[in-house]
Amino acid sequence: MSISELEQHPASHIHPPPDTFIKKYVFSLDHKVIAVQYFVTAGLFLVFAGLLAELMRVQLMGPNNHVLSTAVFDEAYSLHGTAMVWLVGIPLVTGAFGNLIMPVQIGARDVAFPWLNMLSFWMLPVAGILVFSSLLFGAPQAGWTEYPPVSLQLPLGASLSLWCAGVFVIGVSSTITGLNFLVTIIKMRAPGMTYTRMPLFVWATGVTAFLSMIATANLSAALAGLFIQHVFGVPLYDVGRGGAPVLWQHVFWFYSHPAVYILILPAFGIVSEVIPTFVRRPIFGYKAIAYSSAAIGLLSFMVWAHHMFTSGLQHWEQLFFMILTMVIAVPTGIKIFSWVTTLWRGKVRLDSPLLFVLGFLSTFTLGGITGVMLASVPADAQEHASYFVVAHIHYVLFGGTIFGIFAGLYYWWPKMTGRMLDERLGKWHFWIMYLAFNLTFLPMHWVGLLGMPRRVATYDPVFAGTNMFVSISSFVLAASILIFIINAWRSARQGEPAGPNPWGARTLEWMIPSPMPYYNFRDIPIVLSGPYDYGKPLPYANISQDLAMVPVH
Amino acid sequence: MATHVTTVSDPEYQEVQSQRLLGFLFFLISDCVIFGDFIFSYLYLRNAAPVWPPVGIERPYLYLAAVNSVVLFGSGATMHYAMEGIRRARLRQFVSFTVLTIILGSMFLGGQAYEYTHLRDTWAGSTFGASFFTLTGLHGFHVFIGVVFLIVVLLQTLRGTYTPQRHFGLTAATLYWHFVDVIWVALFFLFYIY
Amino acid sequence: MKQEKTEPLLDAGFWRAVAVMAIISAALMWGVVVMPIDRYLPEASTVSKPIDDLFRFCAFFGAPIFVFVNGFLLYFAIRYRHRADEPMDAVGSDIHEHHGLELTWTIIPSILMIVLAVLSYRVIPLYYPTDQAVASAVTLEAIGHKFYYEFRYPGLRQSVMNELHLPIGVPVTIDVTSAEESPDVQTGAVIHSFWVPEFRVKQDMIPGMVIPIHVTPDQIGIFRIVCSEFCGLGHSHMWGKVVVQSKEDFDKWYADQNRAAAAEAAGVQPISLAGGVASAGQTLFNAKCVVCHNAAPFAQRKVGPGLADLFDDPDHPDLVTGKTATPSNVADILVHGAHGDMGVMPNMQANGLSSKDVADLVAYLQTLHH
Repeated sequence: MSISELEQHPASHIHPPPDTFIKKYVFSLDHKVIAVQYFVTAGLFLVFAGLLAELMRVQLMGPNNHVLSTAVFDEAYSLHGTAMVWLVGIPLVTGAFGNLIMPVQIGARDVAFPWLNMLSFWMLPVAGILVFSSLLFGAPQAGWTEYPPVSLQLPLGASLSLWCAGVFVIGVSSTITGLNFLVTIIKMRAPGMTYTRMPLFVWATGVTAFLSMIATANLSAALAGLFIQHVFGVPLYDVGRGGAPVLWQHVFWFYSHPAVYILILPAFGIVSEVIPTFVRRPIFGYKAIAYSSAAIGLLSFMVWAHHMFTSGLQHWEQLFFMILTMVIAVPTGIKIFSWVTTLWRGKVRLDSPLLFVLGFLSTFTLGGITGVMLASVPADAQEHASYFVVAHIHYVLFGGTIFGIFAGLYYWWPKMTGRMLDERLGKWHFWIMYLAFNLTFLPMHWVGLLGMPRRVATYDPVFAGTNMFVSISSFVLAASILIFIINAWRSARQGEPAGPNPWGARTLEWMIPSPMPYYNFRDIPIVLSGPYDYGKPLPYANISQDLAMVPVH
Repeated sequence: MATHVTTVSDPEYQEVQSQRLLGFLFFLISDCVIFGDFIFSYLYLRNAAPVWPPVGIERPYLYLAAVNSVVLFGSGATMHYAMEGIRRARLRQFVSFTVLTIILGSMFLGGQAYEYTHLRDTWAGSTFGASFFTLTGLHGFHVFIGVVFLIVVLLQTLRGTYTPQRHFGLTAATLYWHFVDVIWVALFFLFYIY
Repeated sequence: MKQEKTEPLLDAGFWRAVAVMAIISAALMWGVVVMPIDRYLPEASTVSKPIDDLFRFCAFFGAPIFVFVNGFLLYFAIRYRHRADEPMDAVGSDIHEHHGLELTWTIIPSILMIVLAVLSYRVIPLYYPTDQAVASAVTLEAIGHKFYYEFRYPGLRQSVMNELHLPIGVPVTIDVTSAEESPDVQTGAVIHSFWVPEFRVKQDMIPGMVIPIHVTPDQIGIFRIVCSEFCGLGHSHMWGKVVVQSKEDFDKWYADQNRAAAAEAAGVQPISLAGGVASAGQTLFNAKCVVCHNAAPFAQRKVGPGLADLFDDPDHPDLVTGKTATPSNVADILVHGAHGDMGVMPNMQANGLSSKDVADLVAYLQTLHH
């Protein structure tokens, strides 16, 4: 049957394609179009948030600089953190990558609730406008964590309300996406795809969806609490009337710790996809990686107060959270060791996607080690709220999430666009970014331990040399992103056409044409075994068998 | 998937129905988390306070709330019988019990409004007010949405949208209504008994 | 018939790489052990070295993990590279699990975590007053303000601002909190942090909570107090000093404090503005006032307004206290501090100003509008 005939046949569930421009590109119900919308919008916010960071680094090139006033500097890091977590990181790994790949990898035609998917996306630009418009009124200055009482005090006008509203909106979006993805994974897998035959990116997306659904609801409530305190004077955090500032810290971090796992788990998933493809052998420890993701998901709800070790916790609370934080390090380590072992006796192709994965493994390991240093309550006394923490978070969020995002972009770009990216530019991008990244963030560990606190527009002159070095490295780091932008532009205009499977991979998205047709699969595939058994026949029935299983590069 | 296809066979409808049910259950779970956050805040502030209720604040009256609770739980029972009606194709049973549920739900809201206007404490007046009015207000808002939801599905039923086999909208509305009941059990205990 | 020899899973090349990584790890681990941390940051309290040792423990085991992960990445990526002469669809080994290996890398990190937890648990009582903690000799209060530290000593009538004097070797308890005059959440106390990097001690100063910590300094010297919890526009400039002295020097300082307090209580001398030196005032202004003020027109405010037209501004003829802008009213603000809409200006004691300093500052401010 032809596709148009299939469109008439209800059992195939192929609906007619959208016909108007609005339905195709603006209010699309197609998860792949929505993914591109997320990529573009979050990408734009990445540029804004990155520029804010560079402005900060200019101010910090020397002590007592007057490039930015203190107030503007404080606004810069507050919006940088807010945007990077909520308008860039989470939307990219869930809304963009999750949407683009997960439904296809499970052999579905779309997610469970496409209309809700579209709604989730459109909440992102609304949230971004709300958050960035707070700049017009003097943006919030107390960091992305906005601890009261100080967050209720700085010249505010509407700015804290706008911030609360913006983050609330993106929180609702994230909750809906989580719900959507989890129902999709549970209910819409192709026949034969048991949980242990799912690609690891789907495992990662599933656990992330669970976290998004449960934890983000808590964020919404917390923000509502801050909002009603600010606007209506409801005394939740108001010490003078029986409120408790530490209460905010508890409810905020109960969400925000799972949030960092929302940020990293999909990147873990991307790593688990890229490695087998570029070493052409099964992932080592599939079950360990899958189950450890679930374990990390559950444990992530039990460690939040390790952000609060100096906040006057009871001793038993400090012990409890210290121990659980150390526990969560173990499944993370298992993954890293499994990924490294997958390279052993592989047929390694050092293409850009794999380079970014190697960069990820290199930097994220260091981030994990400094995380253990932070887990110890007494060691944390020196490290907390200093540049040591700034270094740690950037090693895991930039070295982890961002490198993972680039790995995924280079990997799935041909699938998304039908064109290849330039491999030479990719290598330049990787090496400059990897080196500049380390030169920027490694020295921060040092000045942090020596006594440089966070959120300062100036510092003790004894740290001047290091800060200058860090700032200059950060400019190189920012510039390296331009290489990717140039690469993307050239690919769009004159990139080499990609076939369905330029990398010779085995997961379902590579079994259909590039770019992917709106209906994904002509016939829903039947899955016979797991996707990483290189050397064995493809484990699918109902798939056109004449697809090249050989990498063409 | 859109419901534009009118000849969808039963196994496929079952598939869609099970997805929607799971999605709706997840939504209710995430809603529980929202209440959980405010309940945590209430218990934290209460624990940190030297005396509870704070000086000068009275506890709300138990008996009014107890009567109101009976009304609300009763409406859960009536909604259960309403669903029995739709499952057995007894439209009149469904309509009458749903109307009864709507009335009882509105009575609950009326009771809340009466209680609110007769409490001296205000939302911003103390940490007790902060906790009590936020939680019961959020709950009352959910009851209000529930009443609207019930009115909408009642009208849809009268227009013939649902059958004894296909009535996901009614299942969702009923689940939501029971959810509102369960939350009230927790709040009643936390504010009037504990 | 199979003719090939089965290769060992881990061959000589592998073990050579392991040996190189082991040597590098050993060098780093040795470096961690011998690294003279106190040369870079003095270990000035009795808890400094235990905390540094915890850090060393993490770095000691973190180093080989880092070296081996990066080392294997490098080694495998190079050794197992797909070579040009191999067919394009060549695949790697299908070994995808090994229970022994996986158990090992689960158990060893778990053991390390348990050890770290136990070691950490034993350090906590060294700076938090748990039941096992050493009893302290005296209790002080440390109160965070916007943007300075106030210290209250038992037996001293007046607080000491920004300088915490401690006698060496004496265990003290410091009750840490935060407070402002205003109880209103919009102008009241915020969270600060009391961090002495050389002591390795940090405690957040939280309004409404009094949190005790233990400190026993064991090096004489002057160390920094750093505010590490964002507290507003003055956060970057909020810092103080810990002065650890011998017992005799500390006793002398303590007695001096009492004498000064008595003198002040006995008769508050009116500040004489005659003889104020504007150039000295300018030095003081640039050292102490620029945190919150500019020597620029009113509108160029930081925390407080610009002060260039203080005595001659038709748009703002009155000071923040509501009084007219005269030299003696300005001096009044310097002496007693003031409440503005964006912060609290500390009084002369908090700012460490003498009467002469006040006169010099007023003289300087008078020169600004010319």
